[in-house]
Amino acid sequence: MEQSQQAETMADPQDMDAGKSPPGWRILLTEVLRDKVALFSLLLVVSIMMIVYLVPLFLSQEEIVRVDLFAIHEPPSSEFWLGTDYGGRDVFGQLIIGTRNSLTVGIGVTAVSGMIGIILGVVAGYFGNTVDNIIMRIVDFFFVLPTLLIVIVFIVIVPQYTVWSFIFIMSMFLWMGIARIIRSKALRERELDYIKASRTLGSSHLKIIFTQLMPNLSSIIIVTMTLNLAANIGIESGLSFLGFGFPEETPSLGTLISYATNPTTLEERWWIWVPASILILVLMLSINNVGQALRRAADAKQRRG
Amino acid sequence: MSDRSLLEIDNVQTSFRVGDSYYAAVDGVSLNVERNEVLAIVGESGSGKSALAFSIMGLHNSHKTKIEGSIRLNGKDVNHLSTSELNKVRGKDMGMIFQEPLTALNPLKTIKDQITEALDLHTNFSAKQQNERALHLLNEVGIPRADKVMNQYPHELSGGMRQRVVIAIAISCDPSLLIADEPTTALDATIQSQILDLLNELKEEKDSGIILITHDLGVVAEMADRVAVMYAGQVVELADVMSLFKQPKHPYTRSLLSSVPSTQDEKDMLHVIQGVVPSLPKMPRTGCRFKARIPWMADDTHEENPELREVADGHYVRCTCYKHFYFPEEEAEKDVAAHRE
Repeated sequence: MEQSQQAETMADPQDMDAGKSPPGWRILLTEVLRDKVALFSLLLVVSIMMIVYLVPLFLSQEEIVRVDLFAIHEPPSSEFWLGTDYGGRDVFGQLIIGTRNSLTVGIGVTAVSGMIGIILGVVAGYFGNTVDNIIMRIVDFFFVLPTLLIVIVFIVIVPQYTVWSFIFIMSMFLWMGIARIIRSKALRERELDYIKASRTLGSSHLKIIFTQLMPNLSSIIIVTMTLNLAANIGIESGLSFLGFGFPEETPSLGTLISYATNPTTLEERWWIWVPASILILVLMLSINNVGQALRRAADAKQRRG
Repeated sequence: MSDRSLLEIDNVQTSFRVGDSYYAAVDGVSLNVERNEVLAIVGESGSGKSALAFSIMGLHNSHKTKIEGSIRLNGKDVNHLSTSELNKVRGKDMGMIFQEPLTALNPLKTIKDQITEALDLHTNFSAKQQNERALHLLNEVGIPRADKVMNQYPHELSGGMRQRVVIAIAISCDPSLLIADEPTTALDATIQSQILDLLNELKEEKDSGIILITHDLGVVAEMADRVAVMYAGQVVELADVMSLFKQPKHPYTRSLLSSVPSTQDEKDMLHVIQGVVPSLPKMPRTGCRFKARIPWMADDTHEENPELREVADGHYVRCTCYKHFYFPEEEAEKDVAAHRE
């Protein structure tokens, strides 16, 4: 890594003059900018996010999910851009709000499960031994649980079922993978001399974790979280498709796609489910592309530039 | 003990857990370091040099290590301090210089941030004072364009510069004891002597004591005041540097010295000490630990329970086997010479 970084500095006389080398985030940025597919994906994801989070400010969810018996199953028209579903509800509006809900869940689950995973992983990896053993056995325990089944059961029994309770329930069962990855990296990192050197200076464990260890784990954290985001959006859609996601008053990409379980809708009313399917495909592929570019940036062996 | 005394290590035993039992990697070592003195610790890999240094700094993993005995720094037993109490001593009263300057620096932080870490902990300096102090330290360790280097990252510096930075960090709070764990092993020969000169200057200037851990006898000859030769976790010979090089006593010391390539004698073959340092669980716990590597010596030349004894003023040797020790090659040469006559 050092060599390639040095080579970069050498090649760029401006950098030499400034006496500064590309810091970590700039390597990430260069890698994403160099990879045209990843750059395109990033722009796509960002613009989709802007649209689905800004447009609903002018749309009302109640308005869109209100049943209109005089406009059932209408094909796309100038009034309903993507037609209507069996309740006469505007599919385009549902698509926008559905994407927003799916994204919120995906981001929320990634953030919450990421927090749990990172904290436990870093603590297990840094302290090792007994602490590590205890935390990793908890991880193993959660891993053997039939996650999907338990999530479904929770969803059925929780009375006040909102986006936030959904995020919370999902996160409870999705943090283990992150904890494992972070722990293995932390285990390797803590053996390096700079951690020991910091201890010889009298720094406390907490300070070492935050100022020495975490910055060196940042690239792996960013990569893992990005790839997880794509996976989590998929999980939410899958559950909604099975009918265990959000109720119909809360549209999501999964609920839109689940209309395709009706054979007539599948064959004749493509406007209901095709846009949602394409959108979810585009979102997941794009986020994955960005994640791959980040992963390359974090690992010098895979780096292109 | 005199008031010049800085560090007193008394009968320290550091044991590592392997499986269910503990094995001593440092076995009953007693040493002392005075101010303005360099004590070199020499020995092969696995002889317990670094294990001893880590014991002094309290760097061992407390779950897998047991440290017995007393380690007194300025009269204060640092072996039995809690982590937070130890953190007040580390960095302030003792500093450590690591072997590999690249891994000893955090790759993601600027040199300035790394130097001010200890200042932040042990002084009440303002940000500006810390900055000035960091700049002063970099100048002190002989880094050119220090103001520029302050904002650079470790990978932008050469190996020698990095090691200077590591030294600057270690001395940032003027510790009275410096432990240098093979400080020049990763550097090339010209840089080596510069770094050693720097350490010498710092020692004189700050009146501090240095423990120099190395397996390079050239470094020892250049730097040390006294030398402790360690083998298999024990000190086998302790003497001031002149008498150690002029009159080495213990078979291990003599073997080490004759293993150094020399331009003076015309031998084609380099002397090699037979065998290797035994691994921890296989280490003999009784008798002379070096016995297995000098098999031509008769059993009765060894002591049953070898002890460190003073054989000359300030010159200590373990075991009695040194008295009759000879190298088989020398003996063979003598035989040949006798035959010719």
